[in-house]
Amino acid sequence: MSKAVMQLKNLKKTIKNKPIIKGLDFEINSGEVFGFLGPNGAGKTTTIRMMVGLMSMTDGDVIIKGHSVKNDYKKAVQHVGGIVENPEMYPFMSGRKNLIHYSRMVPGVTKERIEEVIKLVGLEKRVNDKVSKYSLGMRQRLGIAQALLHKPSILILDEPTNGLDPSGIREIRAYIRRLAAEEGVAVIVSSHILSEMEMMCDRIGIIKNGELISIQSVNDALQQSEKKEVSLEAEPMAEAQTILNEVIEGDVQQNKDALTFTVTREEIPGIIARLVSREIDVYSVTVTRSTLEDKFLDLIGEGAIE
Amino acid sequence: MSNFIQLVKNEQMKMYAQISTWVMLIILAVLVIGFGIILKVDGGMTQQEAPAGNEWREALQAENEQIESEMEEGSGFAPMNEETLAKNQYRLDNDIAPSGYNVWNFVQENRTNVSIISLLTIIVAASIIANEFKWGTIKLLLIRPISRSKILAAKYTSVLVYAATMLLLLYVLSILTGAALFGTNNFNEPFLFMKDGEVQEAPIFQHTASQYLLSSVNLFMMATFAFMISAVFRNSALAIGVAIFLMLSGNSIVAFFMDKEWAKYILFANTNLNQFFTGTPMIPDLTLGFSVSVLAVYLILFLGLSWLFFTKRDVTNS
Repeated sequence: MSKAVMQLKNLKKTIKNKPIIKGLDFEINSGEVFGFLGPNGAGKTTTIRMMVGLMSMTDGDVIIKGHSVKNDYKKAVQHVGGIVENPEMYPFMSGRKNLIHYSRMVPGVTKERIEEVIKLVGLEKRVNDKVSKYSLGMRQRLGIAQALLHKPSILILDEPTNGLDPSGIREIRAYIRRLAAEEGVAVIVSSHILSEMEMMCDRIGIIKNGELISIQSVNDALQQSEKKEVSLEAEPMAEAQTILNEVIEGDVQQNKDALTFTVTREEIPGIIARLVSREIDVYSVTVTRSTLEDKFLDLIGEGAIE
Repeated sequence: MSNFIQLVKNEQMKMYAQISTWVMLIILAVLVIGFGIILKVDGGMTQQEAPAGNEWREALQAENEQIESEMEEGSGFAPMNEETLAKNQYRLDNDIAPSGYNVWNFVQENRTNVSIISLLTIIVAASIIANEFKWGTIKLLLIRPISRSKILAAKYTSVLVYAATMLLLLYVLSILTGAALFGTNNFNEPFLFMKDGEVQEAPIFQHTASQYLLSSVNLFMMATFAFMISAVFRNSALAIGVAIFLMLSGNSIVAFFMDKEWAKYILFANTNLNQFFTGTPMIPDLTLGFSVSVLAVYLILFLGLSWLFFTKRDVTNS
């Protein structure tokens, strides 16, 4: 991993004597997609607002490319592009005018760059329509376009795929990955849609009640939960269950017309072969992968909001 | 600096992209043109023709004689009469014929529409910050490498540009409508006024323009006030309501506290700068210099509070 472009140093926020963020310390490197994960009310948005200077910090600091957001705001924030919460645009202006508006606020954004960005997010056909006529997905695209205008080195996206249709989600995901890989942009994505984070991010930081409780790379997280949950549909069921109990250490549960059990990936073929050799009819074997979701729930526990 | 001009351009772009701004411009135009048409169709005084040839001399002499006899009897409103007398005499001495109702009278009457502009400017000033919060666009606006002070200054400048645009529109439209409906005879007539007991002459253009500007002092202060409320409370309805209420009740507030020692420090006792040029001040010991200083203090207070709240406060949801 290359050098850190953003560092959070003991970042704290207290509102009315209530600590909201209790000291965050982590780094984000260029070229990585960092997932910021946490239940509602954990402090994701507050942290993001402090990163971009919308909220003051009670203590600590955020350093962007060597510039402190607290003391050298303009220099720090010029490397940042982002959407904070919803992609809110001026509804009475066209998409292009909205982009022109933001382009005037940063030096060096040319007309060509505006056109380039419009093409990038695929808004060519509707860019002259008023934003009030846009669907949520189109606003999301315009929001991303706006964030990319000045070629930032850090892109902060709060729930970027919110409101997009499946093909839109895939497109944005691919685009985020490409930005990180080819242009070395550090992307911070906040979301609580876990499966999506898994596909998009390199590293994930989990925040709960204003504290960072875990930070790890996605690959590690997946390896740690190697065991898969498998559900099997077979006939006759009672006999199948008996056979399974012979080979598997854990419980075999029967619900409706399927048997569920937990094994590692390598064990699965052997089990099926055994069932077939004992003349059991196997109709289906489904692996419900033990995903980040379980890991996430393990970490944050139930009733997450204090 | 160029950066600042870009910001003001942005604000103007947003302003004119909204239909409500155009509605305001149209309201003003309709008021001026409609007022002109009503005067033309209905008004008795505008029908008066200016006396032709040398008849005006006889008319003025007759008027003066009448006033003099009235004054001997002790009736009539003395200062007013003296002024008319002196002005008439001045006209006779300098050979300046009075004109009938013409474009300049119309322009002067339209000065009352400055209060309509105050109303509209208050609405604009109250919305320019509060709406960014309402739309949620404030977040995207503030995460740029531009200080909040500069964004605030651009917004305030934009309000002033709007007010100036409206005033110019009113002035130009009054001249055009007046010229079209009431004619441009005596377009270059001088304006006569009394100063230190002497009759003075001034170009009518200069006189009307400065009258419009003096009338805008109240507009300027109330717009700044609305801007402040908008910056502090981030709520346009509150800002509009309070500012319009104060604008309308300003004179009554001053009248109510008239006998108090501190009445002269009330903002509204000082906003009417016209009173120092024509007529007498509401509170006797006011001077132009004092009023201007009081206005400056209020202005600094309003802008200071706006700045403090806009730059220091966190941007959160509603």
